[in-house]
Amino acid sequence: MTKTPQNGNVDPKITKALQEIVGETNATDKIHIRYAYSYDLSFVERKSPDYVAMPTTVEQIQKIMKFANQEKIPVIPYTAGTNIGGLCIPEDGGILLDLKQMNKILTINDQLHYAVIEPGVSHAQFAHSLAKYGFRWSWPVGPPSASVSSNALCHGIGGMSGRYGLNSEEITSMEVVLPTGELVRVGSCAIQEDSWHSCLPLPRMDGLFTGWLGTTGVVTKIGLRVHPMPPYLKVFTTSAENLGDMASYCRTIGNYEICDDITTVSWWLSQVPIPYPYKPKPEDAPEWVSFATTFSWTEKERDAREEIWQMAMEEEKKKGTTVKEAVYPEEALKARTQLPSRIVGSTKNYTKQAGGGISWPGTFTPLDKWEPVYNEWKKILTNRNLSPSVRATNYRGVHYGMLRAMIPFPKKDPDAVENARQGIVECLQVVLDNGGIPYKPPVDFGVEINKRAHPGYLSLMKQIKNMLDPNDIMNRGKLGV
Amino acid sequence: MKWNIPSLEELEDKIWRCTACGNCKVAYDFGPPPFFGQICPAGVEFGFEGNIASKGKVAFARGIINGDLEWNEDLLNDVYKCTVCAGCQEQCELDHKPFIPEIIESMRRKAVDEGVGPMPAQKVIAKSMRSFDNPYQGPRRMRTDWTRPFKKAKAPIKDIMKEDAPILYYVGCTGALNVPVRNLPVATASIFQKLGLDFGILGENEVCCGSTAMRIGDHEEFKRVAEHNLRLFKDLHDNHGVNTIVTSCAGCYRAIKKDYKLSEEYDELMDGIQVIHTVELLYNFFKEGKMKFTKELPWKVTYHDPCHTGRHLSEFEIDEDGSEAWQGAYLRKKDDNCLFDIPREMLQSIPDIDFREMERIRNNSYCCGGGGGVMTGYPDWAAKNASLRIEEGESTGAEQMVSICPFCHYNLNQGAKRVKSPMRLYDLVELLDMAL
Repeated sequence: MTKTPQNGNVDPKITKALQEIVGETNATDKIHIRYAYSYDLSFVERKSPDYVAMPTTVEQIQKIMKFANQEKIPVIPYTAGTNIGGLCIPEDGGILLDLKQMNKILTINDQLHYAVIEPGVSHAQFAHSLAKYGFRWSWPVGPPSASVSSNALCHGIGGMSGRYGLNSEEITSMEVVLPTGELVRVGSCAIQEDSWHSCLPLPRMDGLFTGWLGTTGVVTKIGLRVHPMPPYLKVFTTSAENLGDMASYCRTIGNYEICDDITTVSWWLSQVPIPYPYKPKPEDAPEWVSFATTFSWTEKERDAREEIWQMAMEEEKKKGTTVKEAVYPEEALKARTQLPSRIVGSTKNYTKQAGGGISWPGTFTPLDKWEPVYNEWKKILTNRNLSPSVRATNYRGVHYGMLRAMIPFPKKDPDAVENARQGIVECLQVVLDNGGIPYKPPVDFGVEINKRAHPGYLSLMKQIKNMLDPNDIMNRGKLGV
Repeated sequence: MKWNIPSLEELEDKIWRCTACGNCKVAYDFGPPPFFGQICPAGVEFGFEGNIASKGKVAFARGIINGDLEWNEDLLNDVYKCTVCAGCQEQCELDHKPFIPEIIESMRRKAVDEGVGPMPAQKVIAKSMRSFDNPYQGPRRMRTDWTRPFKKAKAPIKDIMKEDAPILYYVGCTGALNVPVRNLPVATASIFQKLGLDFGILGENEVCCGSTAMRIGDHEEFKRVAEHNLRLFKDLHDNHGVNTIVTSCAGCYRAIKKDYKLSEEYDELMDGIQVIHTVELLYNFFKEGKMKFTKELPWKVTYHDPCHTGRHLSEFEIDEDGSEAWQGAYLRKKDDNCLFDIPREMLQSIPDIDFREMERIRNNSYCCGGGGGVMTGYPDWAAKNASLRIEEGESTGAEQMVSICPFCHYNLNQGAKRVKSPMRLYDLVELLDMAL
């Protein structure tokens, strides 16, 4: 039997230094442990961190960051590793900061409707705790093991994004360890230690730590708005023959602001799981189906919402669109209404038929560009024998929208993986040409975004990054600049 | 005898079906109300992704298969620091779900085949199996020590090799040889005698079921004893009138019911023989009104579901030919064989018992920490994990914890001692015997 093999980058002195901070059993450079952090669901090439450390306190994180900053070692924060853009796969080795042991729900304020949680809290854990107070969160269609705070920091979406916007828009305050080890707070908790109710009316410094493709700090506590759970759920389901007609309906129903979520999916995505390889849609099946969830406190309120929905349907009828009331596939609908869900429609189920891999061109694309982009995507994907399994969603009424394709692939087959990757790259180029913005993408796509960016934007981004992270240790190489 | 015990390489396609989504890391049910709980003992104790659930073990399996990882002491330790409790399997919904314990054990089989496994402390098990046909280094004659009170009371138990009987009480090595849990076979035989059952034991001729050997990857040793037992069972059926094998041990039960089926001759050799857990047998008597509890037991009791009588007995339906979904698709699971309801119903039927459930129960039961060779390989951790379960039991206000597995019984007792808990451990048959 061989001794523990090490790769050239690993320095036992660094491991020892980390162990002195977090304890001997909570830091390691063992190759097989690092290996387990080297890949995720995506097609992003496998890369291992050099060290893994599991801090349990904010002070330990500060010490690690000070040490890493001094030694110029990259740091990759990690909670569950469930995103499908390879965001936690280290580009340049370094210290993987596994935050799962910091998983306390610190506060659920049932008067002011916010919670304060640590980074390792999963959606499953959050759901379990919030339910005791009759509260809910905007649950994403992802594994319940995913981290609530990571999802919010990455501009994740959820089942209430139609009403309240992205999950990052639900952040009320944050405590962050900067790459230099300094502890900072943004939002109301910056002014009064135990006050986590709002980021406003202060300057929106939470933006310094949200939505960056390479993290800019280690968020150690986050305040989030939570919402009461009304007892009546009514889901309105429709179909249309093309995305243009469906976008028209989504805009109309979105105007009335009665829905928590307005989403439409192509026939391929409404299948659980997504057909792999591509198979043609049955001729009699509509190409698009949609659901719109409404929650109400009374039966009367529910009926009133239905009346408004009928008005929206009448408007579409007058326009002569193909939109009509329809049945949303049962399993797929569960995936939208029974969240978080480990069984139906969550990311793993999308990929089930293909086997192991999934990624996406996930983009913010407003409603008026859904149809042209989708039509291009469909050509690209079907030419590659991949299903055009596309979702489009309104956020905050009609203010902006999401368009994304979920592309599963068999991870065992390198050619199939590459085929999917190239298809996704081509789709991204189309969306960029149409003014859409990819979110949570792998680093190559970040480069592509930055190529098209306004020079002033890039310059400002670099200045902010340099200010926060002078030695470029946070997720080095992920930013694409 | 031909066996269909898969190698790691034969499971490669299944291994690649894991998405690494991490659903397997904790127990979760949508509800309402939603339920969340820790499910992986190794994950709770060691914490790194590789240590947790099937996601971690599949990462190791991938690394071993594609040559990125080579055996070394650290990897080996982490492959063996898994209780193979199937808690992660319960959470997973992907196509490799039915094979998760096999993937973990196939890594161990590979380690043993390549001369690096099992772990040093577990090698004692393998040596003992070869020398004594049991993992406890107990001489064969000790297998009947527990029967002394019956001899003394002039109610001897039949040696089934000498006197025919329709029921073989397959005692198992732990009940027979692990002194702290000897009350288990004593209570079992006591109840059987009270019920007037015609049963016998193999006594010194009993050979280990092979469960422990299988769990630590020693499949050759497993096959040796399993082949012996399968032939012995057929002989007992053909020549000694045995049609029922009763086991009080969850490990034996799982091995004979599930692992032995990996033999191509299982159906032929076991034709006409039913394998049943003691509590199932007693439940049938209870339901028929032939077993009545006459004594009160004013105890506050909680119940711990053993993995091997619970989720290990789930049956998975796979779309072998692709006619329903696609080839190899995991379709659904049936829990008909899992002993979840019977022990609870029997416990609650004991007069004056105050039954209290823990949070993690049935499919989401938290492993005692003793399975998969961990009790031998890492006894301190096994006891530490058991103490977590004891504390969960304490939080219900229960003063006694009941189970139907001598492994759980022993290990939970170690856990209770470790945290100086007043919790008393019992096997269900002990309570039933007291109440009769």
